[in-house]
Amino acid sequence: MNQLNNGFTIFLSLLVEAMPFLLLGVLFSSLLLFFIDERKLVAIMPKNPLLGALFGSMIGFIFPVCECGNVPVARRFLMQGIPTSVSIGFLLAAPTVNPIVIWATWTAFREQPELVILRVVLSFAIASMIGFVFSFQKDLTPIVQPALARYLKFNPPRKLKSSRVRQSDLISQPVGGSSLLQSGSYWLGSKNNGETGLPQRIDSSLISDTSTESISSQPMADKMQLVLENTIQELRELGGVLVLGSAIAAAIQVLAPRDLIISLGAGPITSIVAMLVLATVVSICSTVDAFFALSFASTFTTGSLLAFLVFGPMIDLKGIGLLLSIFTPRTVFYFFALAGLLTFLFTLFINLHII
Amino acid sequence: MNPLNSRAKIYSILLPWLDVLAITAWGILMLKYWLTDKLNLLIHPNYFGLVVAAGIVLLGISVAKTRQLWRQRRRRTESTAQHISLFPPGWGSALLLTTAILGLMITPQVFASQKAMQRGVGDLLGTSRMQPQSFRASMRPEERSLVDWVRTLNVYPEPDAYTGQKVKVQGFVIHPPELGQEYLFLARFVLTCCAADAYPIGLPVKLSKSRQEYKPDSWQEVEGIMETATLSGKRQLTINASSLKSIPQPKNPYSY
Repeated sequence: MNQLNNGFTIFLSLLVEAMPFLLLGVLFSSLLLFFIDERKLVAIMPKNPLLGALFGSMIGFIFPVCECGNVPVARRFLMQGIPTSVSIGFLLAAPTVNPIVIWATWTAFREQPELVILRVVLSFAIASMIGFVFSFQKDLTPIVQPALARYLKFNPPRKLKSSRVRQSDLISQPVGGSSLLQSGSYWLGSKNNGETGLPQRIDSSLISDTSTESISSQPMADKMQLVLENTIQELRELGGVLVLGSAIAAAIQVLAPRDLIISLGAGPITSIVAMLVLATVVSICSTVDAFFALSFASTFTTGSLLAFLVFGPMIDLKGIGLLLSIFTPRTVFYFFALAGLLTFLFTLFINLHII
Repeated sequence: MNPLNSRAKIYSILLPWLDVLAITAWGILMLKYWLTDKLNLLIHPNYFGLVVAAGIVLLGISVAKTRQLWRQRRRRTESTAQHISLFPPGWGSALLLTTAILGLMITPQVFASQKAMQRGVGDLLGTSRMQPQSFRASMRPEERSLVDWVRTLNVYPEPDAYTGQKVKVQGFVIHPPELGQEYLFLARFVLTCCAADAYPIGLPVKLSKSRQEYKPDSWQEVEGIMETATLSGKRQLTINASSLKSIPQPKNPYSY
């Protein structure tokens, strides 16, 4: 009974501490979704693949989205003809390399500031590397989902008028599209599903025009309704995952035999492998995963905590579902393998004090 | 209208309200912890403001959504059905709502010796990972709290350096099996972020009689003199107690 109550206290404390950060992340991503015109970014996008990958990894600073918000944005990037290296760099780095996540990580690991810095540096490096690797794939068709490939074939970037028409076809296909995916894009094709006139549906002119025009053409109140809608939706989904994740963290802390945890957590290799597996399974949102990792801080090696913090936001079970809405399974597997191995390598270096 | 359709319709009416309920419950829960002074059992005081603000924003969101739903109550909303795939419809909100209700019903507990033992008292006797944050060398020994002592010891670990200094500290009692009957361990939990990372620190106390008189988890104020003892093979700074006084559990049992 005592154990149960301790576990419950840990569980609640994780939730209470993480909820403000989750809320902040969700509010930001909802606001940005409707107030920033990402096509302005296209104009300043570097063409060089390496620079593009680096640039893409930095976009998180102006799009502070967590790993669920970034998939729809990355998909829009690809559809608008933004170079692959930039899109993939963004996809993998944005959940970590952004101000809200850095703040949350700092909150959790005030006593180990090196962890915060290493998290950002490693995520940035790995995302840029993978972005660079994929920049050699000039033709997107083999790596993206057939629906998206068809779209890109028939709608070369820049023809945005037709893109909106096509968008609804994409949405309606059962590509395992999650609500989060659609939360970013369901409004794109709103005119085509025959249910026009609902006030919470954004008018499709919003995306086609420049942001100044859309602000003037769209009443503020309507926009706020959409922000509200999106906020609640992401809060519901990500909050649900957060509850499950916190429950797992608390249960492991209270129930797992101490000897097992210590023997796993002390080994330089076993600890990293354990944390990589945990990162994949737990799927906790990047804004709050630092708090999850915190409960292992006393028993696990620094490298393994880092592995969790770097790898988790890039790829996890929930993320795979989302990624499959853009890429073919084989591509997602490449992401998984590349990111996993790079993370393993770097964090092993840290555990063995090579760097 | 076929039954499937009407069920979907009921869902689409009810689910948004479930969201509202879940968000409201969380807003209330966070504000309740703040108003009833329970927040310090869960998180570090630095983040109280954040939690309060989040509670208010959550309530604001629920009010806004309620207004929106009320205005649209005549209209058919079809948004929910196609959106959910991460969880089945309503599960995310149901999870959040359940947790919030449990949180409202169950009071968080102050960690005690059992948790400290689970964390391993072997670690207790070693160095903690605590960094000296507000280290003041000029502090008079008898004014140091338990945490101050452990921090000082971290900076300069030689126990002999403190021999003969006066001590007056408060903490709760642990009976580690590896210490003899005439020793107990006086501990406090330190929080850096939230209860999930609470870890115990403390010092062994040498008693003149058996430790059975002082129950585990009871709070004591110990006065005495510092000395060096060899405990489980390690030289260890120990309090030679001259008096122990039972005190009530402090309002804020954690140190920071």
